[in-house]
Amino acid sequence: MNPRWQSTQESPIRSLRPARLLLALAAGSVLMSGCGVTSLMEPYKQTDAVIGSGEQVVVLARKHHASHEAEGDFVECISDALARGDNGIEVHPSTQFEDMMYPWFEPSTAPLDTGELGELLDRPGVFEQVESTGVRFLIWLDGSTDRVSSGGGITCAAGVGGAGCMGLAWWEDDATYDATVWDIHELSNTGTIHADFSGRSVMPAIIIPLPFIARPQAKACRGLTEQLEQFLTSPAGDGEGINLG
Amino acid sequence: MRNRNVKSSVLKLAAAAGCGLLVGCSSSVVVLSDFPTPLIEPLPVRMGVIYDAELYDFVHAEQIPQQSIWTIQLGDANIAMLEPLFDAMFLETREVEDLPVGPVDIASLDGVIHPVLQRFEFDVPIGQRDEFVEVWMQYGLSLYEPDGQFVVEWTVSGYGKSELTRNREQSVERAAIVAMREVGAAISTQFAEQADVAYWLEERQNESALAVDSRIAN
Repeated sequence: MNPRWQSTQESPIRSLRPARLLLALAAGSVLMSGCGVTSLMEPYKQTDAVIGSGEQVVVLARKHHASHEAEGDFVECISDALARGDNGIEVHPSTQFEDMMYPWFEPSTAPLDTGELGELLDRPGVFEQVESTGVRFLIWLDGSTDRVSSGGGITCAAGVGGAGCMGLAWWEDDATYDATVWDIHELSNTGTIHADFSGRSVMPAIIIPLPFIARPQAKACRGLTEQLEQFLTSPAGDGEGINLG
Repeated sequence: MRNRNVKSSVLKLAAAAGCGLLVGCSSSVVVLSDFPTPLIEPLPVRMGVIYDAELYDFVHAEQIPQQSIWTIQLGDANIAMLEPLFDAMFLETREVEDLPVGPVDIASLDGVIHPVLQRFEFDVPIGQRDEFVEVWMQYGLSLYEPDGQFVVEWTVSGYGKSELTRNREQSVERAAIVAMREVGAAISTQFAEQADVAYWLEERQNESALAVDSRIAN
């Protein structure tokens, strides 16, 4: 080892350390502050109705809006999550229910309130068909997950010595859903749960892009499912909004 | 000689690229689905139905600017949607070839329906912000007496949308199925409510009642 060299010239590897540390700290702070999901849940139950043994629920997407529609995989996520576990609720497959009740649950014919549901059930054969499915509660999902903002940028380049990317990109998704529960036996609106989950994802690129993705839709699915389970199994709703964030 | 080989290779490359472009720029969709039987009360009439070749073999071809040439085959789906629909809507249905119907059918049918797919429109968005593929279609239902006398034509339309996925063809197919289900829903719930159709149905019921009365009198 040459002591002179050591005192006057720093190793190139060493000289990179503070820069790397600073970069990592900067990236870390950006990630800590930027990536995450904020949530708001507002459940409101109006009746004491609970699901009985042998009774089923069906989860349906509201499809009459021109601008949005609850995604098919979100409906599936809620249906699967409700049915999961030892105390899972019996969930009737959505497509099968729509087929059995055709043409009464198409976008243009589906009842928009419990009054219209009553009129529909008065039609010949309709109530009997609903009874044959075993469905007591209809869960209407209305809303969607949308990208509300995005920014930044990543530049990639390749050369003889290798390839790499540099930059920072971010985007923000907002998952807003209402789950409205109708009781077919009582012809009443059991209540509504409003869920608003917002998540910002970031992707810094220092040679390799590293995605830190927030999943507000998945969290909205989990949050809504927990509330729906309480809704359907606990007699009284508290009617108060709770923040799960 | 070497120059000729290079030229040949360039030509082959261009041809391959051209083929690739052509294949990449055409999208083909065959709409296939089972349509449910509607949950409705049948109307008290026996109907003949004309499914003509245009309906059986319906293909929509369209070049969308900045995209590709789309061919959408709807023939099988037309029949899959209309057959169970008419079977549930009427007391009895029978396929007939043409108008006027034959002597056997003229005595046993109350009327004849001739469905035609008049218009098919669709939109596949380019921008990332547009989330849905949309389909709009319009059918014309012509109602005739069995002897070929025209009664009324009713146009009925349906709109369907489907989430735009990476598989654009599948999204178009889904949107088309939603639109066709909408058409089926409209036909099954609104056909008898059309003023001219309601009047025609009333006449048929009066004729039936008169026929029963005359049989009792004899």
